[in-house]
Amino acid sequence: MRAISKTFGGTTALSGLELSVAPGEFVTVVGPSGCGKSTLFNIVAGLEEPDAGGILRFEGQSCHAAELLGRVSFMPQRDLLLPWRNVVDNAILALEVEGAPRKEARARALRMLPEFGLAGFETQYPHQLSGGMRQRVALMRTFLFERDLMLLDEPFGALDALTRAMMQRWLLDVWQKYRRTILFITHDVDEAIFLGDRVLVMTARPGAVKLEQAIDLPRPRRPDVVTSPEFIRLKRTLLETIEEESMKSFRSAEAPKVSQ
Amino acid sequence: MTPGTSSSLAVQRGLLGGLILILAWEGLARGLALPSYVLPAVSEIIWSIWTSRSLLAEAATYTLAEAVIGYVLGCLIGIGLAVFITMIPVTRMVLLPLATAVNSVPVVAYSPLILLWFGMGIASKIVMVAMAVSFTVFLSTLAGLDRVDRRSVDLMRSFGAGRVGILWRLRLPTALPLMLSGMRVATVRSVIVAIVTEMLGAYGGIGWVIFQAVLKIDFVQVWSAIFVASAASLLFFGLVGLAERKILFWK
Repeated sequence: MRAISKTFGGTTALSGLELSVAPGEFVTVVGPSGCGKSTLFNIVAGLEEPDAGGILRFEGQSCHAAELLGRVSFMPQRDLLLPWRNVVDNAILALEVEGAPRKEARARALRMLPEFGLAGFETQYPHQLSGGMRQRVALMRTFLFERDLMLLDEPFGALDALTRAMMQRWLLDVWQKYRRTILFITHDVDEAIFLGDRVLVMTARPGAVKLEQAIDLPRPRRPDVVTSPEFIRLKRTLLETIEEESMKSFRSAEAPKVSQ
Repeated sequence: MTPGTSSSLAVQRGLLGGLILILAWEGLARGLALPSYVLPAVSEIIWSIWTSRSLLAEAATYTLAEAVIGYVLGCLIGIGLAVFITMIPVTRMVLLPLATAVNSVPVVAYSPLILLWFGMGIASKIVMVAMAVSFTVFLSTLAGLDRVDRRSVDLMRSFGAGRVGILWRLRLPTALPLMLSGMRVATVRSVIVAIVTEMLGAYGGIGWVIFQAVLKIDFVQVWSAIFVASAASLLFFGLVGLAERKILFWK
């Protein structure tokens, strides 16, 4: 996607954003709060159209955002599981919408359960599950909706630190097995480096890509990679950039008061 | 405490309360030797229900049939209208004020017209009940359909779901709790409206029995009919409430 802008009334959420993701790549996006990360995601998911002049290309074809509906598997921040459906039926929701026969879809989901740490929980309902498990059901729903691009919007944001670390390692395992293309939003720099092939740092509002940092840490990554000098070096570079942008958004928020 | 024991405790308390009320009533009516046109003793009423059981059973069946048929029709109309408005949002501006205007007057006010148009038989009662029920169910279903989370709708859209898919897989199940509680409240309304309409003109039913008994100055019979009506109404309410709890297992 190139030259993507999005304006809501008087505020510009995104301005001249440029971004490309190669097949099979894991790209993470970090940025100060309110930098338009979610707007970016909504556009890539096809939920919102960018302002005129933006160029979207998907699999080499230029397209409208609306055409991306049903072509990108999207996982929002909250798990949004349906309380009246059990684990399996929540996981196959997207397949059902596609029109897949229920029986087949259920069989596929059942085969996938152990990998998602949900074996034996297939007939449980969301209110009977822990936060980490609910998140895994939501991820499974996203994985089962087999699309070339997966969009994950802070999927682990609401989890405690231990569960989160576990889920990150687990996500890498699953990703390596299925080799999907992933665009992953987070505000956690450690998470961005640990998971990504490439980290994009966004500028303060209006959002654009400030820095693109390739992460060449060897894979598979072990949990102790976070203490390696290479990791620390990357983290320092990224944190400095983010800090700079956060200060900018802080100052621009303060600016009107100064002028009075 | 588990929900099971707390609900059985509530039942016990309810039964105890009812028993105390009946004893107090009985004591009051007998102690003060009240004439039965003021307040008959409970035992007297129960005896009267027993002696006129075939009449009352027939009347209750008649009334319940009107109430249930009207209720089912009313629910279908109410839910259908709410779904229609949700699917075609422009119609909301026209239909919602119209439905509110029709219902700003007690439904009973329409009964002379309905009796005129649909006759003294069962049809007029069904129409009245359907009118009363449909509005309650319409409003609660609409509130339920509106309560859906925007982010869930977006998620469904990202899966490529259309309006119908979203309605079926997301909106209707989300609306169920409010829709069903509206339907539970409407049960009692349906019996009340059926009885009141019968009192204004009918060939049978609890309302008709009450009206006839008043003409004969037989107030024990009036009380018997009231007892039977409230039992029928409670039964209807209880059955729908039970169905509601079974359906909303995730609540």
